[in-house]
Amino acid sequence: MISNMLRFPFSMLDNEMDSLFYPEVYRSLAGSAPAYPPINISTTDKSVDVYLFIAGMNPDDIELIIEKNMLSVSGTRKLPDTGDEQQHHYRQERFSGAFKRVITLPETVDTDSTQAVYKDGVLHISIAKRAEKQARQIKISAQ
Amino acid sequence: MNTEKNVAKRSAEKVATLTPATDIYESKEGVVLYVDLPGVSKSTLDIDVDQDILSIKGQIDLTTAENMQPTYMDVRANVYERRFTLGDELDSSKIEAQLEHGALKLSIPRLEKHQPKKINITVA
Repeated sequence: MISNMLRFPFSMLDNEMDSLFYPEVYRSLAGSAPAYPPINISTTDKSVDVYLFIAGMNPDDIELIIEKNMLSVSGTRKLPDTGDEQQHHYRQERFSGAFKRVITLPETVDTDSTQAVYKDGVLHISIAKRAEKQARQIKISAQ
Repeated sequence: MNTEKNVAKRSAEKVATLTPATDIYESKEGVVLYVDLPGVSKSTLDIDVDQDILSIKGQIDLTTAENMQPTYMDVRANVYERRFTLGDELDSSKIEAQLEHGALKLSIPRLEKHQPKKINITVA
């Protein structure tokens, strides 16, 4: 019994990332739900790329707003209607309801050139960096 | 259905995989699973049944540019994996799968002999 208790927290650490997709376990440990949807942000020297993992949406139901340097993504996720009273559910882990996430973009982006594509349940938002802010190499001429 | 075997196996392997959020409903005809697999396309999704174990495995396939530097990551692995044990009364040869915008719907009917039957009463 003691060995079980000792081992448990460590095996939980191994699966730390799973907790994002394992609401029951996560809630009991941290006392709150992870933010939905999960986000990854990457940068290149030319752009800032934001990926939102938000499966099964109609893209028209996702609202994307950029105000100054704040990118906000919101919407309501409605799960397929399984309202038949005779249906018994065994598990309900998927997120449903309203969500909103706000991301502060670096000053260097040109928000006028934002592209958003929804593919396979991932919303990919690409925002170009302003030309004058892109790193450039300066050639030294010899005299 | 349970996923305990899956969890145990994963901690042994120490491979980072994501456990996709799943809803499971029982319908008149059988069982319906909804699995969130954002980033997984038809070509990177694998569903198979080995005896009574249903395995779902999907690879996240993102369009990424060269020289990309991660700055913030909620999702740190690119493979989803989850297993379920199917009950005897389910007919694993008739599983129907639909994937739309990264949301998978699996319908698994009950075996014919376990389907609800309506008996017609004839009045003599």
